[in-house]
Amino acid sequence: MQKGNDNMPISALEKEANLDHINSVVSLGQKASPGINEKKPDCKRAVIKSENFSFYYGTTVGVKDITMEIYPCSVTAIIGPSGCGKSTFLRSVNRINDLIPHTNVEGKLLVNGHNVYDKNTNLVNLRQQVGMVFQKPNPFPKSIFDNVAYGPGLQGVKKRSALQQIVEESLKAAVLWDEVKDDLKKSALALSGGQQQRLCIARALATKPNVILMDEPCSALDPLATVRIEDLIGQLKLSYTIIIVTHNMQQAARVSEYTAFFCLSELIEYDKTDKIFTNPVRRQTEDYITGRFG
Amino acid sequence: MRHIIRQISDKAFTILTGTSVVLLTFVLLIVLGPMVWRGVKAVIFKDTVEFRKMQLDLYNRGNSANLKLENAETETFRKTVYKIVDDFKHGIDTEALVDKSKQIYRQLGKELRYKGITNEEYQRIRSLARELRDRLQVALESNDKKVIKENIDYILQYHLDENLADTSAVEFFALAEDFQQSVENIDLNKRQQYAGSLQQIEEIVFHLLGPKPGDPLPALTMDRYGATRWDLAQKLLDKLLWSEKWIQQEVDQPLVKIRASRAEEFAGTKLEPLFGYIENNLVKMLKPELTVYWQYFIDDSTPGHYFGGVGPEILGTLLLTLLAMLFVSPLGVISAAYLVECASDNIAVRIIRMSINTLAGVPSIVFGLFGLAFFVLFFIPLFGGPSKPCILAASLTLAVLTLPVMIKASEEAIRSVPQSYKEASLGLGASGFRTFIRVTFPVALPGILTGVILSLSRVAGETAPILFTGAVALGPLPKSPFDPTMTLSYGSYDIAVGDRLAMMVPHNQYGMVVTLVLLILCLNAIAIVLRARISRKLRGQ
Repeated sequence: MQKGNDNMPISALEKEANLDHINSVVSLGQKASPGINEKKPDCKRAVIKSENFSFYYGTTVGVKDITMEIYPCSVTAIIGPSGCGKSTFLRSVNRINDLIPHTNVEGKLLVNGHNVYDKNTNLVNLRQQVGMVFQKPNPFPKSIFDNVAYGPGLQGVKKRSALQQIVEESLKAAVLWDEVKDDLKKSALALSGGQQQRLCIARALATKPNVILMDEPCSALDPLATVRIEDLIGQLKLSYTIIIVTHNMQQAARVSEYTAFFCLSELIEYDKTDKIFTNPVRRQTEDYITGRFG
Repeated sequence: MRHIIRQISDKAFTILTGTSVVLLTFVLLIVLGPMVWRGVKAVIFKDTVEFRKMQLDLYNRGNSANLKLENAETETFRKTVYKIVDDFKHGIDTEALVDKSKQIYRQLGKELRYKGITNEEYQRIRSLARELRDRLQVALESNDKKVIKENIDYILQYHLDENLADTSAVEFFALAEDFQQSVENIDLNKRQQYAGSLQQIEEIVFHLLGPKPGDPLPALTMDRYGATRWDLAQKLLDKLLWSEKWIQQEVDQPLVKIRASRAEEFAGTKLEPLFGYIENNLVKMLKPELTVYWQYFIDDSTPGHYFGGVGPEILGTLLLTLLAMLFVSPLGVISAAYLVECASDNIAVRIIRMSINTLAGVPSIVFGLFGLAFFVLFFIPLFGGPSKPCILAASLTLAVLTLPVMIKASEEAIRSVPQSYKEASLGLGASGFRTFIRVTFPVALPGILTGVILSLSRVAGETAPILFTGAVALGPLPKSPFDPTMTLSYGSYDIAVGDRLAMMVPHNQYGMVVTLVLLILCLNAIAIVLRARISRKLRGQ
């Protein structure tokens, strides 16, 4: 792994700003749920831009020729049938796909104007900026505190009091604090599935990212836990850019502002959610949304 | 119909598997049961007064005042035994008697020279003494009682010769008289045979009762005490009462072993009462008592595993095992981590994998020779160490031996860590190394400990790899890693190959084996408890 190569255009100042919006989210979290169009003014910086991006697993195509722009401080849903490349695209953004051997890419995928597949990309910085929540809740088999403190620990936060503050802020932001504040020493695996997923979100928030990638975050959860996660997404989008991959079209309609429809490794249509679900331009999109194939 | 067949086959499968498990348990019990039973006898057994003597002398244990009393009691019975044997010996041991008569003759010559008698007289007595000596020798070596009587009577008629009074000649006459008495009941033709038998009997009595009081202490510590254990004493008693012979009953038939009573063999002689006497009074001569010799686990095995315990062996085994684990654990885990996390699937890695698999099947004696050639003769001297078998070389050899087991188990454990943990860690910006240290390793730890348990058991029991690299049967306690050590596995091997030893100290052999099994069990139990605690913590309970 490369180390200390600060090529990412993220300055110390911006990190400071990050702390601010966690605080703001915390305060907002205690208020009533905000309106969907209400936005914080400092959310203009995180931009993901994909320019003719293609991803190959050996000779198999993962995604092909994707060109799209993800808007800051909003929720973008990616929908599509299985095997269409939506997870591949999502996992390319923080290069977690690197775990798979023999892959190659074409085109550009820019986060904050920097191509993540550039040779000089500092993966550590990239992944701290682009957090990820996985399909199955995957807290580490450690205590709740250690789970959330893992990311800050990697960033070099050693002081117990500082860690405690970050853990509290993150858990509050993930609306989990009230449920676990009394036993942070408890193993994370003792939590319920929904709590575990919120813990994973808190863990992702603790590194103060700009972007959060969610790979079908509710598919392993029951409806009640799903509702809570969706509420949480509604609160988080005020401060973070969120990309969510989902199989559940109702969920996409409920939580997102923009929706991208992928099919057969290609981006078919990308527009405001309202438009995709009410008046899609392409025939394929309409067929998929109305359930004629999928 | 098909439903019934399925049911029957299901039942048959259950019964088959159940039976095989029961069978296996049964076989294990049959094998282990007697072994454990004999091993326990190393600790819990009936000791004898000789054992208590040995404990007081060598380990300074026990009540010396009490022991003195006991000794005095046993001494009275033992005296009778020695007396019977000595009496009988007079009539048998011709050579010794001839030697003695010659000695007396020489002594007499010296005495006469200083007696102040005339030269003539001196010559006369000298020739007389010579004649008596020769006649005695004839009598001693004769198998004819008549000849003996004739000669002895001739000798004894000079009994009152005034020139011979007050000299060594008195001893001479006593010798002749004794001899005449002792041959009365003996079949002289059997003298040769008796002499051989008597030698055996004396040896058995020596092993049974220890050295004769008044004799000089034997050089070897193991010869200084009689039978220290009651079971050994009874074995010796059986050998004393019954002689075993291989005889051919018919032509062209294999030899048959028969047991013959020694009492019958010596019937009518002065030795006959000995057998009954020892049989009836052995308890009084040895005073057996049930004892729990727990010090077996800490005592050193003073001379050649005859007495004492297995303290140094346990220590050596622990040292070797733990050192080997210390070497192999990090190495195995790091290798496994490389194979799982870093290595891509190319020819070189495939060859490495194949080598590891092959290494697991190499006989341990090959590792022993490798250890001798590499560690003892090359590697340790390279860093200025002594080029001799030592703990360091042995534990390194054991580490190499068990490396494949360790790598395989660790590889499996690391591979089975959910990919999602690694993804989560990497997704938070951790480097590959950090992810391994902070997430993968702790989660894989129970599986790695399984590998440690497997290796541990293998290492603790191995004999061949340490044969040439660091084990000794007997020796001082190791003071540094550059000294060789005793181990339980090598100790039991050593007893087994020394056939005389194995016959004399079976309890020690089985004791070592059972101790080894117990030791491995204990080490495993510790590792298992540790593993259970870690995995419980990982499961979040």
